[in-house]
Amino acid sequence: MQEQSTESAPENRPEKIERDTNYWLSLEHYAQDPEFLKLGSQEFASSPLKEGEENAIERRDFLKLMGASIALASTGCLRRPVQKVVPYNKQPEEVTLGVPNYYTSSYSDGVESLGLLIKTREGRPIKVEGNPEHPNNKGAVSISAQASILNLYDPDRLNGPRKNLWNEKRTNKDTVTPKWDAMDDEISAQLKKGSVVILSSSISSPSLRSIVSEFSQGFAAKHLVWDAHSNDQLIRARKMCFGAETLPVYQIDKAKLILSIDADFLATFLTPMAFSKQFSKGRREIEKMSRLVSFDSTFSLTGANADLRYRIKPSQQLDVVMAIFSELEKQHKVVVPAALKNTLDEYRNRISQLNMDGKIFAEIAKDLWENRGQSIVMAGGIATQTEFSEGLFCAVNCLNSILGNEGKTILERPAVASSSFADIKALITSMTAGKVKTLILHKVNPIYHLPESFGFAEALKKVDMVVSTADRIDETSQYANYIIPDNHPLEAWGDSESLEGVISLQQPSIRPLYDSRAFALSLMNWGFIAKMGPKRLLAYETYYDYLRNYWKEDVLPKVAKGQNFDDFWAQALQKGFVGSSRATAGKNSAKLEMLSHYKASESVGPELVLYPTVMMGDGSQTNISWLHELPDPVTKITWDNYASVSIAFAKKNSLSEGDVIELDVNGKKLELPTHIQPGLHDEVIAVAVGYGRTKVGRVANNVGRNSYSLVSDQGIFSGQKVTIKKTSRKEKLANPQGNQSMEGRQIVVEATVAEYQKKKSANIHRHHTWSIWPGQEYNGNKWGMSVDLNSCTGCNACVVSCQSENNIPVVGKKYVLEGREMAWIRIDRYYTGTPDNPEVVFQPVMCQQCSNAPCETVCPVLATVHTDDGLNAMVYNRCVGTRYCSNNCPYKVRRFNWFAWNKKIEAPLNMALNPEVTVRIRGVMEKCTFCVQRIKTVKNTARLENRKIKDGEIKTACQVVCPTDAIVFGDMNDPNSAVSALFKDERAYALLEEWHAAPSVRYLSKIRNNGEEKRHSNSEEHV
Amino acid sequence: MIKRKQLVLGNKTLVDITNDICEPVESIPKKGWITLFLGAKTLMIFYFGIIGYILANGIGLLGVNHPIAWGTMIVTFVFWIGIGHAGTLISAILFLFRQKWRTSVARTAEAMTVFAVMTAGLFPLLHTGRPWLDFWLFPYPNQRGPLWVNFRSPLLWDVFAVSTYATVSIVFWYIGMVPDFATLKDRAKNKIRKIVYGALSLGWRGTARNWSHYEMVYLLLAGLSTPLVLSVHTIVSFDFAVSNLPGWHTTIFPPYFVAGAIFSGFAMVITLMTCVRIGFPKFKDYITIDHMEVMNKIIMTTGLMVGYAYTSEFFIAWYSGNVYERYVFVNRALGTYGWCYWAMVSCNVLLPQIFWFKKARRSLTTMFIISIFVNIGMWFERFVITVTSLHHDFLPSSWGNYAWSFFDGCILFGSFGMFLTLFLGYLRVFPAISIAEIKTVMHVGKDGGHS
Amino acid sequence: MNSGIAGIFTDEHKVVEAARTVRQTFNSVEAISPYPLHGMEDALQIPRSCIPYVTFVGGLVGMFTGLFITIWTSAYDWPINVGGKPYVSLPAFIPIVFELTILFGALSSVVALAWFCRIPKLNPPIIDPDLSSHKFALFIPTSDKSFNAEQAENLLRQVGALEVKKVSEY
Repeated sequence: MQEQSTESAPENRPEKIERDTNYWLSLEHYAQDPEFLKLGSQEFASSPLKEGEENAIERRDFLKLMGASIALASTGCLRRPVQKVVPYNKQPEEVTLGVPNYYTSSYSDGVESLGLLIKTREGRPIKVEGNPEHPNNKGAVSISAQASILNLYDPDRLNGPRKNLWNEKRTNKDTVTPKWDAMDDEISAQLKKGSVVILSSSISSPSLRSIVSEFSQGFAAKHLVWDAHSNDQLIRARKMCFGAETLPVYQIDKAKLILSIDADFLATFLTPMAFSKQFSKGRREIEKMSRLVSFDSTFSLTGANADLRYRIKPSQQLDVVMAIFSELEKQHKVVVPAALKNTLDEYRNRISQLNMDGKIFAEIAKDLWENRGQSIVMAGGIATQTEFSEGLFCAVNCLNSILGNEGKTILERPAVASSSFADIKALITSMTAGKVKTLILHKVNPIYHLPESFGFAEALKKVDMVVSTADRIDETSQYANYIIPDNHPLEAWGDSESLEGVISLQQPSIRPLYDSRAFALSLMNWGFIAKMGPKRLLAYETYYDYLRNYWKEDVLPKVAKGQNFDDFWAQALQKGFVGSSRATAGKNSAKLEMLSHYKASESVGPELVLYPTVMMGDGSQTNISWLHELPDPVTKITWDNYASVSIAFAKKNSLSEGDVIELDVNGKKLELPTHIQPGLHDEVIAVAVGYGRTKVGRVANNVGRNSYSLVSDQGIFSGQKVTIKKTSRKEKLANPQGNQSMEGRQIVVEATVAEYQKKKSANIHRHHTWSIWPGQEYNGNKWGMSVDLNSCTGCNACVVSCQSENNIPVVGKKYVLEGREMAWIRIDRYYTGTPDNPEVVFQPVMCQQCSNAPCETVCPVLATVHTDDGLNAMVYNRCVGTRYCSNNCPYKVRRFNWFAWNKKIEAPLNMALNPEVTVRIRGVMEKCTFCVQRIKTVKNTARLENRKIKDGEIKTACQVVCPTDAIVFGDMNDPNSAVSALFKDERAYALLEEWHAAPSVRYLSKIRNNGEEKRHSNSEEHV
Repeated sequence: MIKRKQLVLGNKTLVDITNDICEPVESIPKKGWITLFLGAKTLMIFYFGIIGYILANGIGLLGVNHPIAWGTMIVTFVFWIGIGHAGTLISAILFLFRQKWRTSVARTAEAMTVFAVMTAGLFPLLHTGRPWLDFWLFPYPNQRGPLWVNFRSPLLWDVFAVSTYATVSIVFWYIGMVPDFATLKDRAKNKIRKIVYGALSLGWRGTARNWSHYEMVYLLLAGLSTPLVLSVHTIVSFDFAVSNLPGWHTTIFPPYFVAGAIFSGFAMVITLMTCVRIGFPKFKDYITIDHMEVMNKIIMTTGLMVGYAYTSEFFIAWYSGNVYERYVFVNRALGTYGWCYWAMVSCNVLLPQIFWFKKARRSLTTMFIISIFVNIGMWFERFVITVTSLHHDFLPSSWGNYAWSFFDGCILFGSFGMFLTLFLGYLRVFPAISIAEIKTVMHVGKDGGHS
Repeated sequence: MNSGIAGIFTDEHKVVEAARTVRQTFNSVEAISPYPLHGMEDALQIPRSCIPYVTFVGGLVGMFTGLFITIWTSAYDWPINVGGKPYVSLPAFIPIVFELTILFGALSSVVALAWFCRIPKLNPPIIDPDLSSHKFALFIPTSDKSFNAEQAENLLRQVGALEVKKVSEY
């Protein structure tokens, strides 16, 4: 119903009206007749637009025209948000049919908040891109943020509030749609009874935080913040060492040496987007490139990008740091207190058990000392949530402070330690004791995230009223009395602050699809009805007004004292954020003594490691097919989680790929298929979390297993002892990558810094190619792309972006197994070196747009031909589907529509389709075209303004989201373009050059800063 | 002077010959034939059912995938096209070489050719993603502005080669049958037969002048078909050889494919002829054991040629020093699909060697079994070429295996249903041996008979 | 059509001999046989068939058609960059040209055959149904310059015709 009105918008709304970006206002306006005037006056008050005659007229015709769809607009809500959206660019821009509009917004997972640009067409968001001006991510955008667009259009979302009809046992799952007013009355009445608890994940929105706290004041409610993956131990450790609860803000680009102990900072730890950007920045100049050393108990993305990677098991994390300490002491770099000396002696013996060459630590210690003040030691993430984690974090802090990194390469930002598992236990006990009358759940799913042994489900039944803001009936909200779906971030106003001082605005880019309501507004309403809570909470009718006022009173003074608020606001909306980073230098005052009481302890036998993946995170946003079909960056497996074990472990227990094994972690059992992962410690079983949702939707239900069930009651994720039992079953794991080694072919070229310094084009074997034909001429532009393999971290962001931009279908596990995946750009991951402890290289492969394209010659119907700007065009409606082109493509980048995938797109998901790209029918070939639609758009604007296309003006979908700027696109015929400079770079080489397909893509060789003279060359066999 | 073997046994008179050959056409079918025919027909109907289902749901039902975009359909296409070569070869090339023994087998061999080409012809049309648009492969003037086909694509060469071959071999076959239709018409008892065969005979009268033109045209067609039959499989081999895939991009393919085609074609002729001899005992006098022996010799020879091709491929792969090329061939013999390769080698190269022994050459059971194995081997040859080359190509990341499905099996076996139905029908409707021609060689090898 | 007198034979060699003798008196003699007879051509002095010339011309036409459609479509009517190949990729066009040559050659010769043999022909006259099986016939048309009914009859009997019959129309 709602969606109809948004759908019908383009047709029955004349352009003129479309221009009036305040049609949000008008819409509601009409729907709410009684409040017409009031709202009207408000609107003008809060309008950044100059109030003018024409504007008024527009609104009037607009109302006439909109009559039809208004009738469809839902009514009944006490007060609905009524706000104004301002496009990205300076002037409020005109919405013209067929021309996309970009709105700034932001996306936050609680820790990291990203500045976004939402691409909308005819008033519906179709793509999420990064805001290049935003200090947090500078245009980079995470996979989950990009995928959130599918979450918005998820057919399995609730279309309005729900009330659970209980039988006395509270098992009956019948739900009805309640009336807003009645519901609000009932809830606020219940709230008045007191003993209210709000359980939410950490809230990065300052305004919402203040609303919650004001609400809590009003109702004497308790606000518990709890994250499945929390950094509270990290925060507490910093309090212990430096006296204040803070989170570290790493300046990775300023560090020469980064030592990561299971901190997967390129994928999931703290703010990976910012870190990836800095990391690549710090390595761009090869002579001065930083070194990344990683001690990995999973095969993390960070480990995969490390110059030196050592495999450990979780219980050894602390040993590693202590080993470095003792080396520093041995090398008389630091004087350690006597107390610590004995402790270190203990650890000395443990080092021998790391079965690593002791010299490693000597070198690392030396290296660290030489780079003191410009190195970073970090540990974190759930892989480090072991029984030793406190010690680990303290040790890391101490190490950083004796190296003088604190305050130089490591700044800090205030952070609140979220509640620990102990607090949750406490809550559960009081719930069971019936001490909690009302429980409000916001963005939490304890029943999924907590092991059953916590008994949250039972406790929940003891609470008089449970209110959940989940957008679907999920594992937890199925037990709630009321589900009041929160708006999707793309539908709702909000703000967020991750970097201290930088506050991002989140503006809606579409009117709420369904009858949902912002969490904040719910709290305000209940306060209003109950007449409880401070004035500010009750004063405003909408969260939007509260937000504006909050910014007026709290934000403006902080960042832009004395500026006119309306200008400030409009500006903020346009830029998407205000302020600048105020991350501060920490005290750097850690006392080494404190380490002395973290005694070494023996640990034998296999240990469990739980780790989050870039796709699933903590599993809260998983009903998204893109994320499931996206290969894991390292294992490349899709649609599953699994127990990764080392080759030796598999041999010892006679396991083969796909064997289902039963893990037993102190009595908690879980069956998982085996994946044999090179480069794991031989006593590690690594399992990804975030899978195995049971009530999230049709896409993700029962995909993989829920490994949170293995978390110990003390909230220990990793380092638990685990025993395995092999079952007779076998499960196929869908891995789209066929072979894991390069078979000695020149595919990814690597060199060490040493080699590079000798010869910039080290290890690149150039071929003499010639042709009897002169080849075709390209007089205008000739598009080319360069991919810097030294920057690419293999994070997969480009893959999702491509999928979103080009309407690439998802095929599902069955068909991935049959080799029918459709991705236009894939990231090949190859292992090099010894199988037990290999190194990893990544290579994004998209259509190489060959000038002598083999695919074109063999197409009988000229369905794929060359354009005059050097693109390898694909004419879908001419394609008969002989698939000869795919056979003849040396890069195998062509994808075929084996079935009518397009028929599988279910409303409203079709709204996420990009109207600029054809949705392919069954039986035609498809492939990357360098985002020809983007090229055309820019070409047209350039032609209209009759000027040449500026270099870098065209950005392909993969390029625009790349957090490491590894991809550069441009005109090869323009000698001054960035891309032609890179083509001349000595590290540049063409893939399969000797085949003389003359590709328009160049790869820049990967350089490893591992101190080795020579690397085992992959191309020696090569002729 | 060497004594010639008799081509027709049992001192037949002209009348006998006419009666013998016309008998199957003029008599009521026996049980054996009927059961066979019904079986074949059922299989064919099932086959068309499956094809319909695939058309409705998508080619993805077969095992084709990335990187193996060509599978069973193309493999089986090449298989049948190959079989479709013996006929024209026998009737054209052997005719030019004045091999009189060809006369008694030519007709049936040609029929086999025509039906094999028909069976094969379906696959390239069906294997496309959108078969209903296959007509786009023909260069026809159209309303879509200048929009033509790509004459550089081997697939287009295929379109021309196969359609030309089909046309010419049908014409050749038909022209050969015209006088016999006249015979059947004249013998016809009932009206319908008279009309039907009368129409088919085009009112042929067999005057001396007609015969002289007729013989000339027959000679010309033979002369034209000879290069044609060689060109067809050459061009089919171009589908592979012209691409740049290691294992396909090979200059030896044309002769290799042609040899293979003759090889499999003759094997199929043997298979069918042994059955025909059982089905129609009278034919034993015309299709004598000597005929079979000669064909077995050819099978053995071509088998050796194919074997040579296999070995030289490996040598060249090594000699080229190209890593991709080398890998493909090592993988071919020792990789995932190694067993297919060895099945192929044993069926095509090793087994036929038994024909060094005269006893084996002249034993119907032996030759029947061998011929079956040869055909199995030849199917595997095409599978090995198509699939194993594709499944491990340039970038190891995109390697994969063929997702063989139930439908692949149906397509492969169903195609036999179609072929056999047509062939069995032919045995009952058309004179299976050229009546007119056999009479010209009836005296060969007989005393007083000129040769 | 014209009527005449036909003599039926059963022996392959006899009929050829007979044809030779009969030809000396009558020049438009026609022989009917179930299969081509050796020596019948020179017995009746039938000139060599001219169909090969037709075939040659047909072939040439085919070849030029091939050259035309390939070159004209891909270089003149719709020049388009295909895999960096030149517009006139002659080597790639050869197979097409070749196949068309054969096709035209073959079909033209078959058409020629039909033309010269006057086929297809609806219900052709039948002197004797066995002429398509095991009998042979010599036929002397009335249209022959030196036609003379009884002379013809006698002659046919002399050369060993088993039976001589008047044929109303052949």
